[in-house]
Amino acid sequence: MHVSLKWLSDHVDFSEYSMAELDDLLTFAGIEVEGIQSLPDNLVVAEVLSSDKHPDADKLSICQVDDGSGKSRQIVCGAKNYKVGDKVPLALPGCLLDAGDGETFEIKEGKLRGVESLGMMCAASEIGLTDDVDGLMLLSPALEPGTPLSEVYPAVFQLEITPNRPDCLSHLGVARELAALAKKELAGVGHYGDSSTATREAKEDEIKISTESCPYYAARSIRGVKVGQSPAWLKEKLESIGLRPINNIVDITNYVMMEMGQPLHAFDMTMLNGGIHVREAAAGEEFLALDGEVYPLTEEDMVIADSAKAIAIGGVMGGEDSGVTEATTDVLLESAYFVTSKVRRTARRLNLHSDSSYRFERGVDPHQVNGASDLATRLILELAGGRADEEIVTCGEIPVVPASVSLNNDYCRSVIGADIKDDSIEAILTSLGLSKGDHGWQIPTYRLDLIRPVDLVEEVARVYGLDNVPSNHGAWFSPASKADQAFDYVSILQSRLSSQGFFEVRNLKLISDQQLRDDLATNHRGMSPIRLKNPLNDEQDYLRPGLVPGLLATASRNQRFGNADLRLFEMGRVFTATPKGGEVEHEHLAMLMMGGRRSRNWADAKPSNLDIHDLRAALEEVCPNGLNLVAVDDDRMLCACSIEIGRGKKAVKLGLAGIVLPARARELDLEAPVLVAEMNLKRLAAASTSERNYEELPKFPGSSRDVAMLVSADMAAGTVADFFANHEEPLLESVELFDVFQDPNGEKLPADKKSFAYSIYYRSENRTLEAVEVEAAHAKLLDSLKSGLDVEFR
Amino acid sequence: MLAELDSIKSDALIVIEAINDDSGLEEARVGFLGKKGRLTAASAGMRDVPKDQKKDVGQKLNEVRTAITAALDEKGAALTATRDTAAFASIDATLPSRSLPQGGLHPLTHVLNEAVSILRRMGFALAEGPEIETEWHCFDALNTPEDHPARNESDTFYFENGKLLRTHTSSVQIRTMEKEVPPVRIIAPGSAFRRDEIDATHLSAFHQLEGLYVDKKVTLADLKGTLEYFFRELFGSKTEVRFRPHFFPFTEPSFEVDLKLHATGKAAKWIEIAGCGIVDPAVFSEVSGKRGDLAYDPEDISGFAFGMGLDRLAMIMYGIPDLRLLIENDVRFLGQFTK
Repeated sequence: MHVSLKWLSDHVDFSEYSMAELDDLLTFAGIEVEGIQSLPDNLVVAEVLSSDKHPDADKLSICQVDDGSGKSRQIVCGAKNYKVGDKVPLALPGCLLDAGDGETFEIKEGKLRGVESLGMMCAASEIGLTDDVDGLMLLSPALEPGTPLSEVYPAVFQLEITPNRPDCLSHLGVARELAALAKKELAGVGHYGDSSTATREAKEDEIKISTESCPYYAARSIRGVKVGQSPAWLKEKLESIGLRPINNIVDITNYVMMEMGQPLHAFDMTMLNGGIHVREAAAGEEFLALDGEVYPLTEEDMVIADSAKAIAIGGVMGGEDSGVTEATTDVLLESAYFVTSKVRRTARRLNLHSDSSYRFERGVDPHQVNGASDLATRLILELAGGRADEEIVTCGEIPVVPASVSLNNDYCRSVIGADIKDDSIEAILTSLGLSKGDHGWQIPTYRLDLIRPVDLVEEVARVYGLDNVPSNHGAWFSPASKADQAFDYVSILQSRLSSQGFFEVRNLKLISDQQLRDDLATNHRGMSPIRLKNPLNDEQDYLRPGLVPGLLATASRNQRFGNADLRLFEMGRVFTATPKGGEVEHEHLAMLMMGGRRSRNWADAKPSNLDIHDLRAALEEVCPNGLNLVAVDDDRMLCACSIEIGRGKKAVKLGLAGIVLPARARELDLEAPVLVAEMNLKRLAAASTSERNYEELPKFPGSSRDVAMLVSADMAAGTVADFFANHEEPLLESVELFDVFQDPNGEKLPADKKSFAYSIYYRSENRTLEAVEVEAAHAKLLDSLKSGLDVEFR
Repeated sequence: MLAELDSIKSDALIVIEAINDDSGLEEARVGFLGKKGRLTAASAGMRDVPKDQKKDVGQKLNEVRTAITAALDEKGAALTATRDTAAFASIDATLPSRSLPQGGLHPLTHVLNEAVSILRRMGFALAEGPEIETEWHCFDALNTPEDHPARNESDTFYFENGKLLRTHTSSVQIRTMEKEVPPVRIIAPGSAFRRDEIDATHLSAFHQLEGLYVDKKVTLADLKGTLEYFFRELFGSKTEVRFRPHFFPFTEPSFEVDLKLHATGKAAKWIEIAGCGIVDPAVFSEVSGKRGDLAYDPEDISGFAFGMGLDRLAMIMYGIPDLRLLIENDVRFLGQFTK
C-alpha cells in the first residue's frame, strides 16, 4: 500500500522525525517498508507562457515556460493536451528520472530537430506518480512556478501490511498505529466511527439482501450533483499515492477508501432500474465491469443488482453502465460490509483485484460503514453540490465484533520471557486503543485480529520490542535421530565423491514429460511417475522419479557452456506413485561421467575418455564392500548393469549403471560416451557395513602364480570372477586380473577368443607354504577352471 | 716393503681420483683390492718380513687398505651423487601440475552443513518429513485459514488426489509432534515448493531450514537468544541481528529476523533472513486433536519455531546475485566453492 507522508500529517505531526526514524517506527510496528518513493531534485512547477509550432516537426511545439527563475526557458515538447497558462512538471537539466529497472536517465540541455530545448515537461508516468501516459501532467493552477514538485508530492512509503492488520490499509489506520507507538496525539478523526446521521431501514423495494455474504448494506441518495474535476488538493492526494483522478465523485469515494479503509461505490441513480438487490449471481450470468471486461459469474459470486441486472460485483468492482459519468446528476452512494471469504473467492476466481476487494478480503471495520458514507456525502456536497437525503437507508445488521479479551499478565510474561511490569503491559494495550473493563480488555472495533489472549501478548511483545527482551540460550542433549544418521551418511558420500573429482549438483525436482524417458530409477512393477495437477508450464510438470534425467540435462547445459569433461553426482529425493495411487519418496544417489579422464595438459595431451570401468571405480568408492555389477537387459542403456552388493541369492540390488543410448545422448548434444548410475541410498546405507575392525596382518609369506587363458570372446570377466569367488581353496588369498587381450584380426589370437591373465596369490595364515603345496593348490584350480569354464591355457 | 705399500697407496689414490664411471671404479677395486690386486699381492709378502718389522708392516698394510677402501667408497658416493643430480637436472618444477580431476560440493550443501553443524552443537537433532504432503499437515494444522491465498492453486502445486507439494518445511513441525512427545528440539532442512516462475529471486523449488523447540516454559527470550547465537556463529560474532514484528498464521507473536549486511563498497543495510515466533496455541490444539492425548496441551507447554531460506543464505554468504545459478549447475560455478 502507498502511504503519503503529507496525507499522514493530516492526523499526526511527524515533522521532527527523519525519514530513517519514520522507517524504523513503521518497521518495528510490524509494517514493512518496501520502499520510499520521493520525487527527484530539479523537478519543478512551470507555467507555460507560450507554445508555437516547431518549424521542422509537425508533432513538436516550442514552448516558453516560467520556471520561477524570472527568465523564460525554452522547451521543445511533443504533447498536445496543455494550453498556455497551464502549470506542468518541468525536469530541469541535471534532473534524474527513473528509467525503470533501477536505472535513471539524466535530463540534459539539447536540440530537438535543430531547436534548443532546456529541459523536459513531463507526464505523470514519466515522474513515476501515476500510470497516466496521456500527455503532460496538469498541476494545480494555484502552484507557484519554480516550486519543487517534491513539496507538492512529498515522500510516499510503499508499505507491506500483513494480512492480520487490515486496519492499517488506510492513512487513518497507519496514522493511528504510529501515533500509538510514538505516543502522539491523533488528529482529524471526527468523521471516524459510527455516524450521527439518521438511518432508516430500507423498504423491500429499496434494498433487499438475499445472501449471507452481505450482512449490512447502506445507501445514500444525493441528487443534483455537478460532476467535474476534483480540486487540486484532492487530485494531489490521490496522485501522490498513484491513483489517477477521474472525476470529483469517483475521486471522493477513492479518497474515503484511502483515508478510512472503507471501500465505497457511487452509482448513477438514473441508470438504475428499481431498488438494490444484493444476491448471489445466477449461473451463467455475465457482467460488464467498469474496466471494460465481461466477467462470467457463477452462483458462488455475489452481485449488487437492480431489478434488471447486476450493477456491481459485491466488493470487487462496479459496472460499466451504472458508473458515474460527466452526465450524472443523481448519485446513489453505496457503503456496505461484505464477508471476507466471499469477496476473496470471487476476486481470485475472476483474477480481478481492486483496491476495494483487497480491503474487503482482509476485513474492514463494520462500525465505520455509515461514518464513511457520511464523510463521502459531506465531500460530495462540498465539491459537487446537490442535496443529500436526510437519512441513510440501511438493510441488515452491523455485525457484532468480539467485545473483550481477558489477559493474565503472568501468562504474558511467561510467553515473552521478560519481566514486564503490569503497568507497562497495561500502558501498551491502552496506547493501542484498548480499554480495561470488568470482563477484560475492550477491543476497538477496527482490531479484528485481537480475539485471544495470545493476540494481546503479541501486541505487548511488538510494542515492548524484542530489543528489550533478554537473550536466553541453553544447550541440550539430543539423541541422534534416523535423520541425523542419514545426514551423516550422506556427508560421508559427499566427501568421498567430491575428493574423487565429482561435482555435486542440485537439480530442480520438477521435470518435463520429455525427460521421463531418461529415468532409470522407476522400476517396472507398476510404479509410475507423478504428474502435477496444476503445473506452471510443461517443462516442469512431473516430479522426478529419478535423478538421471536432471543429470543429463545438467550435462547438456554444461556442454553448451564449454565444459566437456564432467564428473557429476546428485543426492536427493525422488518420487513415484504406487499402483494403488499412493506416493513413495526415496533418497537416491546418481552419478554421471563423460569426457576426458583428466583435463588435457602437458603431460597428457590427448587424455583418454572416461569409460564404464571408471564408473565402476566411482561406484566402488561409495560401495566399499562387495560391489558387483551384473549385466542385465535394459533397453534404456548400453552395457546395462544391475548394481549389487554381494553375490547370488543374497545380493542386494541397489540400482542400475550403464551407458546412455548414443542416440539419446546425441539428442542432448552429448558426444562422448555418457556413463550414468543411480541407486537407492537407504538400501546402499543398509548394505554398506561401516564397522571398522582390526584384522591380524599376515605373518607368513605367500606365493603367487600367474595364469593366462583363452576364453570365448563373449565371456564376461564377471563370470570368471564368480568362478574364483566360488572356488573352495583355503590357501587361495586373492586373484587379480592383470591383462586382457583380444585380436580382432585373428593374427595373435583366434578372433572369437580373448585372453585373460590372472595373478593368483596363495598364502597360509599359520606357516610358510612349501612349493609343492602351492603347486598342488594351483593345479587343482587350473583343472577346475578348465572343466568349469572351458578355457585353454596359453 | 713399507716403501712399496706407500707407493701402492699413492698410485691407488691417483687412479681412483681419475675415475669417472662405475666400470672404472670396479676396475680399480679389482686392480688394488681384488684377489690378484696389487695390495693383495703385496700382503702375500708379509711372510718374508722379518719378525721385528711385522707389526709395523701389518699396520701399514691395514692403513693402506683402509685408505684405498675409503677412497673407493668416497668416489662411489660421488659418482652416485653426480648421477642423481644429472637424472633430475632436466626437471622443470615450474611446469603446471599434472591435473587431478577437481570436484566439490554444491554451495547450498556448504551452507547447509555449516548451519546444521552449529545447530547440532546447540542440541538440535535432525528431522524430516515427506515433500508430498496433505493439506492438513501443510496448512490446517499450521492454523492457516481455509481461504488463505497460499492454498490457492495459483500459488501451490497440487496433485489429482488432493495432496500437494509442501510450501514450507513447517509441515515437519507437525510430522515431528505427531510422533514425539516434548521436549522436542529439531531442525529440518529440506525442499519446499511454490508455484512461482523462476527468475533471479524466485525458484519454484527452494530449500528451507526449519527449527522447532517445544518444552515447558519456552519463551521469546529463548527464541531470541537461540537465533542470535546461531546467526553470530554463522556470520561472525559481531553480526547485528534485529527482530521485526511480523505475521505468520502458525506463530504468535511472530517476527522476521534481519541481519545487517556489510557488502564492500555499499552502505550497510538490513536484510531479511528468517521468520520465527512462538508456536501459536492453535497449532498445539490441532496436534493434540490428531494425537488424542495431552502431550501438547497448550496450557502446559510452549515452543518456538523458526524457518529460513537456505538459497538466500547462500546468496548472502557467497555474494551470488541470481538464484538460477544454484540450479544451473555450471561446473565453472560449482568450481568456485571447492576451497
